[in-house]
Amino acid sequence: MIISRRAALLGAAAMTLCKPALAQDATWPSQPQHVYVGFPAGSSPDLLARIVTEPLAEKLGQPIVIENKPGAGGVIGIQQMLNAQDQKNTFATTINGPLTTAPRLTPSLGYDVAEDIVPVTLIATSPLVLVVAADFPAENLADFVQAAGKEPEALAYGSVGKGSGAHLTAELFSDRAGVEMLHIPFTSYAEVTTAIIGHEIDCGFMAPSAAMQYVEAGKVKILGITSETPFAQAPGVPVMAGQAGLPVDFRAELWNAFIAPAGTEEAIVDTLSTHINAILADEAVQKRLLDMGWQAAGGSAEELQQRIAEDTKVWGAVLDRIDAKE
Amino acid sequence: MNGWDGFLHGLSVATQPGVLIYCVLGVLLGTFVGVLPGIGAMATISLLLPITYYLSPEAALVMLAGVYYGSQYGGAVASILLRLPGTPQSAITTLDGYPLAQKGRAGVALFTSMISSFAGSMIGILVLILLSGALAQAAIAFGAAEYAAMMILGLVAASTVGAKHPAKSMAMVVLGLILGCVGTDVNSGEQRFIFGQTELMDGINLVALAMGLFGVAEVISNIRVAERTGVPPRVALRDLLPSRAELRRIPFPALRGASLGSFFGALPGTGSTISSFLAYATERRISRRSEQFGKGAVEGIAGPEAANNAAAISAFVPTLSLGIPGDPIMALMLGALVIHGVQPGPLMLDARPDMFWGLIASFGIGNLLLLVLNLPLIGIWVSMLRIPFRWLYPAILIFVSLGVYSVRGSSFDIFAVALIGVIGYALSLARFNPALLLLGFVLGPLIETNLRRALLIGRGDPMVFLQRPIAAAFILAAGALIVMAVVQVLRRRAPEADEAET
Repeated sequence: MIISRRAALLGAAAMTLCKPALAQDATWPSQPQHVYVGFPAGSSPDLLARIVTEPLAEKLGQPIVIENKPGAGGVIGIQQMLNAQDQKNTFATTINGPLTTAPRLTPSLGYDVAEDIVPVTLIATSPLVLVVAADFPAENLADFVQAAGKEPEALAYGSVGKGSGAHLTAELFSDRAGVEMLHIPFTSYAEVTTAIIGHEIDCGFMAPSAAMQYVEAGKVKILGITSETPFAQAPGVPVMAGQAGLPVDFRAELWNAFIAPAGTEEAIVDTLSTHINAILADEAVQKRLLDMGWQAAGGSAEELQQRIAEDTKVWGAVLDRIDAKE
Repeated sequence: MNGWDGFLHGLSVATQPGVLIYCVLGVLLGTFVGVLPGIGAMATISLLLPITYYLSPEAALVMLAGVYYGSQYGGAVASILLRLPGTPQSAITTLDGYPLAQKGRAGVALFTSMISSFAGSMIGILVLILLSGALAQAAIAFGAAEYAAMMILGLVAASTVGAKHPAKSMAMVVLGLILGCVGTDVNSGEQRFIFGQTELMDGINLVALAMGLFGVAEVISNIRVAERTGVPPRVALRDLLPSRAELRRIPFPALRGASLGSFFGALPGTGSTISSFLAYATERRISRRSEQFGKGAVEGIAGPEAANNAAAISAFVPTLSLGIPGDPIMALMLGALVIHGVQPGPLMLDARPDMFWGLIASFGIGNLLLLVLNLPLIGIWVSMLRIPFRWLYPAILIFVSLGVYSVRGSSFDIFAVALIGVIGYALSLARFNPALLLLGFVLGPLIETNLRRALLIGRGDPMVFLQRPIAAAFILAAGALIVMAVVQVLRRRAPEADEAET
């Protein structure tokens, strides 16, 4: 159990200034809040959760304890939030996987996304970039697609494991661009990058933050980004949508969201959503997120609900395609 | 900036009072948690991580790194006195350290381990200063084929560790390989042997396995001993220091161990575990007293301890220059860097020389501190053996449970460690060597993943292992070891029966 000391201190200090809560239950929050994170301390989802919960603790007037319950691609964090059986004081932040693709990929998941989870708000999104070695014989996406299309599996790409965002994005891309690439699973972006630089594999989709330093060092180059609009952390990188035969609505983003267990009062969800959206509007918070490769997002609970439904459909179709290949 | 200039610049950073004090704090804390069975660097660093928000990035990393290598010194103490290795790389130290302590020569074992650890670290630092660029290049040259070949060499070398009972050694390695299969297969995404337990999706917890096999099993097997003897005999002061003959047996094994460690540590993955097993196997093979190994040979402590400390230092090369953490602790360190806005990678050496060289220089200062701190403490550590078992063992079980839980906050792992402990006890009754099980467990998934990855990349052609020169060299070395072992067994079969035990 890891308690952010700053959060605890600020929370204690703010207690005396406690604003009237919007919740029906006028006493909420009357005790420390627990936010489950399905990744270890120091990981990107953990750091993101801390950036958001520090100011949130201040606004709520209660300390927030980050409960790192890593494992199974974030699924264990959600299971543990649900196991806590406390629909007032336990919440979670999670990446998209456990809410969209996990029901397909994880047997004995132990929860039903639609029935057991209440969306609160989207926190941030992260696009992926297509990375190749600096001496790869393609300068733009069209050249790349041509090289990949020479024969099936002409190019090999690395991902961070089957069913990962990097894997699914590459398969979505291959499908839309009409090519066939060989999938080589790794366990981290750093391993994928090293394999690209060492010419073991040809390319890979990864978070911009994992690639930018290698671009500056002249070891790799980026051929495109999967967001709808250019991304501040990857300046000058062209958007993929509409290029090299890809549809204009081509988009693949990872995201991170704040959720609550089913049965959480609507008023509590509203209070949290309001506070978190206010926090995400703060430029300092936006900058801290951007430094880590996340674009602050926010939005209503309904918008998050919609996002979950959309992505479950899109990635479900990609998984069907992968299953059919095997 | 070349290595020496960099190191001198680093010294000026590391000796700033605001950094130095955290170095001292880190190594003190590291030694302390290393000695506590069960609680290790992993738990401590994850607890400290949020606090480092308030420190300068240099101070934060220097402190966390101090905990990391400080715990290696402390970990050897528990390995030697209590047969409780906190990590796989110190598991091998129990093989000779614990028998030596049982003979009432715990002080000698501790002295050997500390002086070798210090030598290993210093050589590791020297290698880092001279070759940091080349080491990073080597790590890039290592692809899946090279890793698979290297792991095979590691396994072959390790199987000679238990040369007395080849079948039993083999059985342990294979059992370890099988346990290593539990969890999600990286290549296919299939879940294997998890029996519906989500907690097993990432495999069996390494700390739970190590603690169960060694710690809990040891406690169980001592219940009977404790009833009989109560308190172990008092250790005489002159037994604390090694004799001149024993002292002479330290330098060369330490030097060999340190060279192995420096090289393998730089390869991300489990370089440090492999290097300590390889160092042990090497010493055993070339020693004229190979029959003493497993019964308290000084060389069997000096080699592996120098190797794992050297590897702990050179492991920072891939972590900082490629962003590839070698183990979960290094992954936490990466997290600490990212918190402070430092992105590890090829630019780090140029972009953040203060950070990189300050850290390296702090290794030197920290290790010196550890030596000065630990040598006088040997007497105190040894007196720990005089704590009555009825106090010591329950306390150990509490620390083990705390330590296992702290890795990922999972109560499942506490039940796992208890069950593994019972199995470990059964294995020790049947005289199986659990260190080999641990090695198989650590290397198994890496061999499998890399072997299959290499074949995938090679589009199914097994010749990839012989076409790449580094991989071919490892395969040839493994083949040579097997041939040597067979020849040796054939040649020694007759005289071995006559050899008196010493």
